[in-house]
Parts: sequence; structure tokens; C-alpha cells
Amino acid sequence: MKSGRWRTAPALAELAESLVSYAGKCGADEVEVSVVDGHEFNVDVRKGKIEHLIEAGSRVCGLRIIKDKRTAFASSSDLDPGTLRRLVRNAVRRAGLGHPDPFAGLAPRSKRTADASALRLYDPDVVGLDAKTKIKMALETERIALSDKRITNSHGAGFVTDVARSVLANSNGFVGEYEQTYCGLGVGLQAGDTDGRVEDSWSSSKRYFRDLESPEAIASKAVERTVRQLKPRKVRTQNVPVIFEPAQTPWLMGFLFSCVSGTAVYQKSSFLAGKRGRRIGNGLVTVVDDGLLAGELGSRPFDSDGVPSQRTVVVERGVLKNYLCNTYAARKLRLRSTGNADGSGVGPNNFYLLPGESRPEDIIKSTKKGLVLIRTLGHGLNPVTGDISRGAFGLWVEDGEIAYPVSEITISGNLGRVLESIELVGNDLEFLSPVAGPTVKVAEMTVAGL
Amino acid sequence: MEPNFARSRTAPPAARPAGDPFGLSAADLRSALGLALSSGGDFAELFMERRTYDFVNMEDDIIKESAESVSLGLGIRVLAGDKTGFAYTNDLAFDKVRQAARTAAAIASGRAKAPLPRPLREKRLEKTVYRVSAPADRAGLKRKIGLVQQAYGAAQEFDRRIVKVKASFQNSLQQVCVANSEGLLVRDTRPMVKLVCVAISEKGGQRESGYWGGGGRVGLEYFQGGLTPRRIGEEAAREALLLLEAADAPAGEMPIVLSPGHSGVLIHEAVGHLVEADFNRKKTSVFWNKTGRRVGSELVTIHDDPAIPGYRGSYNIDDEGTPPRKTLLIEKGVVRGFLQDRLSAKLMKLSLTGHGRRQDYSHPPIPRMANTYIAAGEDAPEDVLRSVDKGFYVASLSGGQVEDSGKFTFSVSLGYLIEKGRLTAPVKQATLIGSNIEILKRVDRVGADLEFGLQTGTCSKEGQDVPVTDGCPTLRISKMTVGGRS
Repeated sequence: MKSGRWRTAPALAELAESLVSYAGKCGADEVEVSVVDGHEFNVDVRKGKIEHLIEAGSRVCGLRIIKDKRTAFASSSDLDPGTLRRLVRNAVRRAGLGHPDPFAGLAPRSKRTADASALRLYDPDVVGLDAKTKIKMALETERIALSDKRITNSHGAGFVTDVARSVLANSNGFVGEYEQTYCGLGVGLQAGDTDGRVEDSWSSSKRYFRDLESPEAIASKAVERTVRQLKPRKVRTQNVPVIFEPAQTPWLMGFLFSCVSGTAVYQKSSFLAGKRGRRIGNGLVTVVDDGLLAGELGSRPFDSDGVPSQRTVVVERGVLKNYLCNTYAARKLRLRSTGNADGSGVGPNNFYLLPGESRPEDIIKSTKKGLVLIRTLGHGLNPVTGDISRGAFGLWVEDGEIAYPVSEITISGNLGRVLESIELVGNDLEFLSPVAGPTVKVAEMTVAGL
Repeated sequence: MEPNFARSRTAPPAARPAGDPFGLSAADLRSALGLALSSGGDFAELFMERRTYDFVNMEDDIIKESAESVSLGLGIRVLAGDKTGFAYTNDLAFDKVRQAARTAAAIASGRAKAPLPRPLREKRLEKTVYRVSAPADRAGLKRKIGLVQQAYGAAQEFDRRIVKVKASFQNSLQQVCVANSEGLLVRDTRPMVKLVCVAISEKGGQRESGYWGGGGRVGLEYFQGGLTPRRIGEEAAREALLLLEAADAPAGEMPIVLSPGHSGVLIHEAVGHLVEADFNRKKTSVFWNKTGRRVGSELVTIHDDPAIPGYRGSYNIDDEGTPPRKTLLIEKGVVRGFLQDRLSAKLMKLSLTGHGRRQDYSHPPIPRMANTYIAAGEDAPEDVLRSVDKGFYVASLSGGQVEDSGKFTFSVSLGYLIEKGRLTAPVKQATLIGSNIEILKRVDRVGADLEFGLQTGTCSKEGQDVPVTDGCPTLRISKMTVGGRS
């Protein structure tokens, strides 16, 4: 045990194992039980005062039961043994009302295991951080930001910490558990008067407290990102190169993830279904999913099926190598699980575009006329077709230099064509979130405006 | 399934009202509220919730999975000036509740100003906005499977080009109890059902998807008399097939006509969020200094009404125990009101509207929309369409987003070109963007055909999801940017 507050931990694993054995007695062929015990702290400050202070612990238990190849799920935040046993009995009965699914079943037991401690998921400093320090850092971040005269209002600053222990046990004999920590500090700002408002924010999220950006760094990035949008223009509708900042590339990668998710592929809900082994982008595009990067937010020793984490090359120099699968999607597609089970679906671990060699400033210099994408608004992503259409904010580039901010425009294109027409990839990869990527220049997208 | 409320509790069973799932007596609640105020807060509130949820889905021609979940917990909030202390627990043992009360109390620093909170007097609700004759929580799984199979079958049989169908049914029952230091004690039990279908079509290697669904705070009878599972399946298939024939959307500024019903998303984004009181109290919303001022065309009148019978966004009390009322937001283009929760109403010295909502017990309440709509105008819908020589018709929408400056988007999943006053070619997905006040001023025709969109919508704000609906008649906007391709 790493810390005294986990005195109850063995009880969680016992609870999970006892439910596995109870379900077996109730007639289940296969059983999986997960228990998560979490502790949340969240402070929001605004205009120098505390706005919200939230602190709580909570637990949730999830069950999967398979009987005669028929599956039933259940979950409860009420860990009363009577309630849980009733849910097990109900699930066994409900499973009988579904239809047999030859693909249903737990993951086979793996010989490989990932070492949770080598992944650096847990920082005792996050657990030990007192409320006063967190409140002070949030106040400090906002104070520094508001000291800039160009900032006219604040959405507030916040500090969040999460500490959780996850336990998974199943009837194939798998029992695993790990602890993890998370901390985040951020601030949201407005500049300009009420009728000419612009806004943006910056935040830093890490597993380790010492890796968190300082209040000064967060405040200054948030200020800079906000004021650079002041006095925007609206441009004419045209097709131009679009440069994604590193804070924008993640949504493009997230969209790619939703198209290479094994679930979307077997459900024919992805335009990349049936394209494995084929070229889907140009040679600059290499994308990896890696659950084993030490200290990163998307790392974990095993997925929610109990499959050990791994590194999977998804796209290699433009060629689609692998779909990301949980156990079920892998069976449907006759592939192997890549350790991407997330609840009953598929989720990314650390999913990222490998950096290239270009410096971000050279990418802008290479552009005669184009858009640096700095923010988007709205959804507008369709995995079935790959189509993209989103509200956008940006900086207009003329003759290799930033000319003026633009807003109230949209960008549109198709992910397939975007991947084929990536011209330059930056050397500035940073894991701001588990889904990440460096600066990217796409040769052409439609910018709609006037 | 029989609900099982048996739990071991410290409170004597005699103190519990029949059917109470929380096991805390009025004396326990008052004692916890007293503890919550012990550091000098102005107001304390307990929100108890037990929610059961059932789900079943069909895919690959089989009933693939069913799920059941139980969520139980208590959130406790202390207000001290404009500060909120909040804690929650999913263990309702009295010592855990007291511990949460102490955590929430720490927001205030000092000693209790007031003596004990007022004695709790239970308020009985006289009428209900839920419309249930066949409660889904008491129906067997077989009957729900039947609904899913009907929707699935209808989509699959609709056309040979439908290559994949998914259908699912879900229902929930949320029991809530709110108690506060002003003596309020009130309970509500909120039902919800939802049946949805997704169809994928394919032709020559091209695939498209269509979506349809329905439900609300109703029972299973809704799927007989109201929207049938068959219709849900067919509409999903029809949309997926139409998109196979659809061209890329145009790009640039052009006149827009919104179809009735679905297009309420525009009002939700362009107006609804920015009249939520918290954004105006903090002066971040573009509307904060515009009460009584004109922000749109005279044709625009907008209400939010959480008491529309059976609607997905409706409730008998909000999550602070306030009975809601239909709230006028914009009258003939002039800002008239905000959506209030207790904290904002108190700080702004305005009255409560019953819009304090929360996702669940683990979140504090914030001002939210319920059922938001733009009132019917006088134009015949066909005249509105006929008035456009060349433009874009929004047939169905998949969502939107807004920021406090008033810039908003909404995403069209199916549209049509308008040529010489008539709908011509179907067009695919496109996002539209505008600034809300500019767009509200450009509303120049409003139809008499107010409708509400699908009863399946969810709104997200500050990490909290709540069910909502929105409504809109046929409407013309003289000019707006369409994010298609050129």
C-alpha cells in the first residue's frame, strides 16, 4: 500500500472476487466485476473569491454476466451487498431473455502482464496536497491573468484532483488493480467589451503534481490566446491551407480514433471499415496508440476487459495497419484485442500523431495565404463518411506571416482527404491530453465566411 | 423487477414515509442541515437521489445486451454569500451524511449565525406533469425487447440498401428528495423512456447514417398512440437513404429556412444558454446588460416551459425543490427574463423560475433550460419557403454549441437546396455559424406551425448532462454562413 488512505483496498478486491463467485453459483458461465473507488476535489475561484468547493469520495461497481453466450450488464453506486447480489441475480435472469451471441465472452487469460508501478500512474504528492495549496494556486493563476489590462472578464480558474483505485476480477482467474492520480489547473478569460467579446482558456492536466505547468505559465498562455483574437474579421469563402495548432490536432486525432475504433468498423459506422492494409494518408502520417507511456494520462496496466496494455501502430507512413479493439470487436473482426476496452466500448489510450521535423514557425512561413486554426465550435464530425464541418476561429496568414484574427467562419473537408493532403508535420508534440498531436499543415480545406 | 428499498439504517423505520428509499428521518435531515450551517453558512440543502435505469439493445439481428443500473446518493450544499461548498456521498449511513455536511460547511468560516434550521414541513405536490399509464419500470424486459425488435425490423425491411441497423430502448426512474434550511421538504419521482434507431445505408461503397427516436416522461403507451417503433425505424432508414443521394452542402452566406421542430436547436444555442442567469450575473454573457433592450426581430418571442406534460425536459420540481413556471425570455425581440436557480436569483435579487437543475446528486445545481421554444408566428409555412429564391433549407439537426460572446453553431445532418421557392436537391451535413444578436435580427419570417423536435435530446453544460427539448416553427433567416464545401 502506498498510502494510508487505502486501508480499505483489500476489501474492494475481496468484494469483486466474492461477486464473481456468487454469480457463478447463480448460474452465470462467465462473470466480470469491476470496482472503482475514487476521491474528487474541485475548487473554482472567480474574481479573487472561491465560487465552488467540492470534495467527495464515491464508489461504483460494474458487472458483466454471460450465460449461454448471452450478455447482461449491471452497475451500482450502492455497494450494499444485498443490492449487489440482487443485481447479479437479475442479470443472470435478464441474460436468459437475450439472444446467444457467438462473439460474446471474456478475454482469454493472458500470460503477459503490465507492471503498474513502472507506468508511474500514482503521485503521492497529489494525494498529500492540501486544500489550501490548491485554492491558492487557482487564485494565483486568475490573479496573474486579470492583472493584464486587456483582460475584461473571467470565467474563473479551477484546480481539480482525482485519486482512484480500480479493481477488476473475472471468472477466468484475472484479478488486477491499480491506483492513479490526476491533477489539473486552468483559467478561462474574456477580452474586449460586451459586444466585441473574445474568449479562450488554458489548462494543464497531469498525473504528477510536479509536472503541472505553473500558475504564471498557465495565466500567460490563457491571456495570449485570448487577446490575439481581438477585433476579428470575417473572410470570404475560399479553399486555403489550414494549419492546426497543437491544441487543435487532438480533435482531428480524436475523430480519426472514432473511425479506427473496432466497434465503429464492425458496425460499418466508419468510412475506414474494410481499409486495413490500404493507404489512407500520405507518408507523413504515422499514428500510434500506446497504453504504456510512463506518467501519461492515457496509460494503464490493463483495459476494462483485463487485457494488458500495449503499443499499437495504427497508421504507419500512411498505411492503415490496425483497428483498435476490445475483446468483442476483435472477435467480430477476426483480429486480436489491442487493449482498448473502455467499459462496454472501445476507447483510446495515448493516441497520437508522431511528430515530424518542421518547426511551427517555419510551417507558418511556408504559407502564402491560409488559416491557423486556433479554436473550434460545435460538433460536425461524421465517422460514417469522414466528413468534417465545424465552426472555427483562427489567425489569417498572408505571405508567411500572421495578418489578423478571423472568426464566425467554418472549416470543412473530409478526413480521408485531410490525411492524404498533410503537407507538414511539426516537431512540437506534447501530451496536453491522452489524444494528442503536433502542429499540422493541411494543403486545402474550405473556409466558409462571407 | 421489484424495487428493493431494504437497507440497514440508523433511523427508526417508523420515521420513514412509505416508499422512502433513503432511510433518513426528518430529524436526521434537520440535524445534517444544522451541521452544514455550523460554520456560518446562509443556506444549506440536501439532495437525495435514487435512480434505476434499464437498457436493452439490438444489433446484428440479435438482442445483444441488457443492462440495469442503480445509482444512490446524497449531495449537500452550503451557500455563504456567493460561495458554494458542496460534498456528496453514495453511502447514506447517517455518520457518512454528517461527514459530508461538515465538508460542505467548511466553505463558510466562522460560527453559526442562526440557530437550528427551520423544522421541515413536507410539501405535497398537487399535480404532475408526467404522463404515464403503463410504467416502464414495472414492465418486463420482454415487452421492451418487443419495441426494439419492431423499430429494428422496420428499418431493416425498409430498403435493400439498409445494411446495418441498431435499435435500443432505455427507461429510468429517478426518485429525488430535497430538504433545505428554510424548512422545505419535497419529493418527486420522475419517469423517462427513450427508444432510438440508427440505420446505415450503402450504395457503391458510399455509406450514410440516419437517426430517429422518441420518448419523454411517459409510459410505454406512448409507443402505441404517439410515436410508434415502426415509424422510428422507418424514419431512420429514410434519412440514411436520402443522404445517399445528397450532394455536398454549399459554402458561404445565404438565406436559411429552418424546418419546424428540429430547428429548435438554434434557439437553444443562440438564446437559451445566454439567458441562463449565472452567465449574466457574472457578466460574461452578451445579454447581461440587455434586459429590456431589443436584441432581435419583433417576430421573435421565446419561452422556456418545464411544465409541458410528458415532455423530456419537464419536471414537477426543479433540483432545488422549486415548482417551475413557464418563463418568458425574449418578447418581440426584447430580453425579458433569465433562467434562474437559487444562487443567481438571490444575488441578482430576482424571483425563482424553477430552472435549477443537476445531472445527479454528485453535482451542485446550476441554471438550465428545460423545454425551450420560439413562439408561433403568422406566416403559412409554404409562403416562407416560397419567399426564398436561392437558399438553404435545414431539415434535421444533430446538435450545436455556443460561447458567451454569442457566437454559435448548429450542425445540420440533412438539408435541401431552395431554388425559386421550392426544395430541390438534398444536401449533406454542414455546420452553420453566426453571432446570436445578428442572427436574431435577421429572423424575418416566422411560420404558424410550432413543433417540438425529437424527444431524445441532452444538453451539456459544465460537465453536467440534463434532458431537454426544444421547439420552433418554420423560420426564415435572411442570411447566415453555411459551412459546406466549394
